[in-house]
Amino acid sequence: MPYKKMRIETRKRVGYLILDGGSRFNKLSVTAIRELKRAFTQLEAADEVGCIVLSGWPGESFAVGADIGQMRSFTPLEGLQFSELGQSLFEQMERCTKPIVGALNGITMGGGFDLALACDIRIASDKALIAHPGARLGIITGFCGTQKLPRLVGKSRAREIFLTCDSYGAAEALQMGLVDRLVAADQYWADVITLAERIATMPSRSLTWAKQLINLAEDTNLQSGCLAEQAAAALCGSEYLGTSKSVCG
Amino acid sequence: MSEKACRIELQGSIAWLRLPGSAQLSRRSFLEMVRRQLDCLAAHDDVRGVLVCGQGGTFCTVGSDGPLTPPEAARLAGFGQSVLFSLEALGKPVVAALSGEITGLGLELALACSFAVAESSARFGFPEISQGRLPAFGGTQRLARLVGRSVAKQMLFSGELIPADEALRVRLVNRLFAPAVLEQEALALLQRICTRSPLALRVGAEMVEAGYDIDLKTACLLERDAFALCFASRDQKEGMDSFLDKREPQFSGD
Repeated sequence: MPYKKMRIETRKRVGYLILDGGSRFNKLSVTAIRELKRAFTQLEAADEVGCIVLSGWPGESFAVGADIGQMRSFTPLEGLQFSELGQSLFEQMERCTKPIVGALNGITMGGGFDLALACDIRIASDKALIAHPGARLGIITGFCGTQKLPRLVGKSRAREIFLTCDSYGAAEALQMGLVDRLVAADQYWADVITLAERIATMPSRSLTWAKQLINLAEDTNLQSGCLAEQAAAALCGSEYLGTSKSVCG
Repeated sequence: MSEKACRIELQGSIAWLRLPGSAQLSRRSFLEMVRRQLDCLAAHDDVRGVLVCGQGGTFCTVGSDGPLTPPEAARLAGFGQSVLFSLEALGKPVVAALSGEITGLGLELALACSFAVAESSARFGFPEISQGRLPAFGGTQRLARLVGRSVAKQMLFSGELIPADEALRVRLVNRLFAPAVLEQEALALLQRICTRSPLALRVGAEMVEAGYDIDLKTACLLERDAFALCFASRDQKEGMDSFLDKREPQFSGD
């Protein structure tokens, strides 16, 4: 089944999931979220993909939130269902065995901000503009943002972002720890490709464990986390033996 | 000591809470005064946001409580913690505008605000360790959660004051301003915040607090329910209507 709000391109073991809803902003409508879930399922199953890039490049936006016109008349129950749908997408992205690079090419707001937070790494173009304006709309986010943002940038900065609804440029986002890398627009896509292709050459089993162990570190006490790390070491070790790869050069 | 040392000034929907910059109140008297002011601020619905600042270039100075027995010290700590918990749970945005040397109880109070901004010449720390004293009003816990354990230990062990640019880098404060414009910039920031939905501000701040110390999955479940509840509010209708009509919203907070 074709996608309406996005397209998938695969080159050199990188799966590019490009949001392209045909309009100025990539809205996270119910349709777009369902398509994203389907696209991640497809990319997860594709053996030729080692790393996933999620972006709105070369458009003006990465992603924004839901259609306000639709959300305006949500009942509380519809709000609950919408939040459930979005959260299930973000959980799927976290559980995805392949690294997901969020390439924040432009406007990243509201639900789009939360989509970026669900990526494993964020690399921003200097054209990126980031905001979480829920309080301007009389709501909070229901897409995990109130929980993931404080864990990423600290409670005080998260509160400032939610309370002011201000837009932050890429340099400020880098300084706050919202994004991990910042690249000038003319060099941007080339750098995204370089990073993704480099990650995609790494052993897939190790990438999966690295992602899962870091995610586990969020909520697990140190001893349990270290035990999981031991198990990963044993599994990765046996893979090296099995494929006769030299780990010591 | 009279309460005149700690003043509330109303400016539109914003209340300035001016701490006694130089009055040498005991910590207990100071905390009792803050609690009364907080009760007053909480009771007034027309107050949308609070700006906590000092007087005369000093954020907050308190004196000694005299020698305390261990049970008295524990009672004082418990009382101070309850006051700062009620500051944290005021339900309105509270911005701290910090000037001078922000130490001890002053820094503990700033840590319980929504976030802090400071003048570029401000300095921060917990120097009381040299007299054998540690923060006792939630300061060790809020500091470690905000700046990380290493920076928190460095500050607590050494008792050294860190300069403003360092405080910005370690996330102790969110923004720095020149001393001459600190109060007007902090006011502008809070005024912008106060044009947002009071309900969303309150629920958002509560979610940040409630979910931080629990596992992410449970926290997201809490958020989902709070999000759904927004759609039973007038603020949500007004927020989205005004956005679609391209006009400024008039939020009622219900």
